[in-house]
Amino acid sequence: MGTVIAVISGKGGVGKTTASANIALGVAQNGKKCAVVDFDIGQRNLDMILGLENRVVYDMVHVMDEDATLNQALIKSKADENLFFLAASQTKDKSVLNETKVKKLVDNLKESFDFVILDSPAGIESGFEHTIKFADVAIVVVNPEVSSIRDADRAIGILDSKSQRVKDGNFVDKLLIINRIVPDMVQSGEMLKSEDILEILDIKLLGKVPEDKGVVDASNQGKPVILDKNSVAGNAYKRISARLCGEKVSMEDIEALDRGFLKKIVGIFT
Amino acid sequence: MQGNQYSVKVFEVSIEDEEEFISFFDFNHILFTNRLIVLHGEISDNIREYLNSKSLCFLENIDLPKKSARNIVLESGITNTDKKTKEEIEKKVTEEFDNKLNETKQDFEEQKAVLAQENKMLEAKLLKLLERLKNNLTVLDHMIRSGQELNIDGDLLLLGRVNSGATINIEGSLIVTQVIEGAIRCNGNFMMISSSPKANIVFNNIEVNSEQLKDGLNRVELKDGEIIITPILEKEINWVQL
Repeated sequence: MGTVIAVISGKGGVGKTTASANIALGVAQNGKKCAVVDFDIGQRNLDMILGLENRVVYDMVHVMDEDATLNQALIKSKADENLFFLAASQTKDKSVLNETKVKKLVDNLKESFDFVILDSPAGIESGFEHTIKFADVAIVVVNPEVSSIRDADRAIGILDSKSQRVKDGNFVDKLLIINRIVPDMVQSGEMLKSEDILEILDIKLLGKVPEDKGVVDASNQGKPVILDKNSVAGNAYKRISARLCGEKVSMEDIEALDRGFLKKIVGIFT
Repeated sequence: MQGNQYSVKVFEVSIEDEEEFISFFDFNHILFTNRLIVLHGEISDNIREYLNSKSLCFLENIDLPKKSARNIVLESGITNTDKKTKEEIEKKVTEEFDNKLNETKQDFEEQKAVLAQENKMLEAKLLKLLERLKNNLTVLDHMIRSGQELNIDGDLLLLGRVNSGATINIEGSLIVTQVIEGAIRCNGNFMMISSSPKANIVFNNIEVNSEQLKDGLNRVELKDGEIIITPILEKEINWVQL
């Protein structure tokens, strides 16, 4: 039985889909069989970021309505043979989802994959609720800014009250990814510090991802940034994926990363 | 020149039968002590004397600006009453009055009993409620996340944070050991809260200026309609002064 991970954020535009794609590819590169499912019905993006846009024939609504089998709908990634992708429907809206259908789909995926990553839509509406309903672990993606933190806080609150695991008496492990950290802005106090965010949200830290201009280009080209060996964000996602697979990887001090050798010397003299 | 203007109540009457008039005034003259009586018709000296003897104020045959006169039809029956009927009426009136008084007395007693019973019930209820409030301390050791709303009857000891966007409505007193960034509506006797510059706190319907909260715990109380914030500092040692 695999682990079902829901990637949530509350606020939109913080990097949920990018994180989903990179983590999925990361764990696949670590040798785990991974399926990534786009739950953002009507506004799917994950296919573009994974570079599988033109390969989508069947989507998850086809599978739920039994118009196609799961194996027909799952798309194998070009980047790694362990990674499979299930697209969201672009033509339907979120009202086609219901609990029994979602449960059946998630249970089927769990049987044949080590990791099932569900990319949640933004907001806290029914689409979000279906994503978290049957998740074992939630990855909360935030940006170091107050609006993102508050929305994430709300999303965690809903997760804690609506999740099936919580209703069964278990708890859902919640892991935090702080995305798009600009080290200079954190040091000057313009951006929230990781410690403050952790204090507010009170969940475990999975990793910090620095702001990286390469992410946009990587998304546009359909090659997740984790494939770029020189990218700081890509390396951060590599560490995160390794942690998810159970490896012990030390936390890098992302906030101080930008302080290169030259800058340090300049820093001494100023 | 100096003029004074008065509003006077006027009783206008036309005299047809002297005896009738005098018997009516015998009966009712007290009612007219503060009024101006305007007489019409033939007025004999007898009447004048009579009215003077009762020290009543009167004018004779004057046309008044009649805008809002009230017509009183004088019942000659009363004016013509002889002593017998008078006594009968008096008797009747006193009887009726006594009856009414007794009735109201009874009613009053009944109502008093009902009220006393209701009062007892209310008191019991109040006592119960007070007891519940007294012994109703909720202790929570988790944080209140954005969008969560706590509604609590009694007192609350909260060991977690109150995040931005969360609301706590509480009827009793409140102690929060961690930072508050959400909204607090407290109607209790006191609050113990730490420095929370982002909080929105209303205590007994008065907004607390959260900038006045110092580091560490603060006691917030209401005295004479004003909010008093006392920081709870570490106790200093008072050395003996010789």
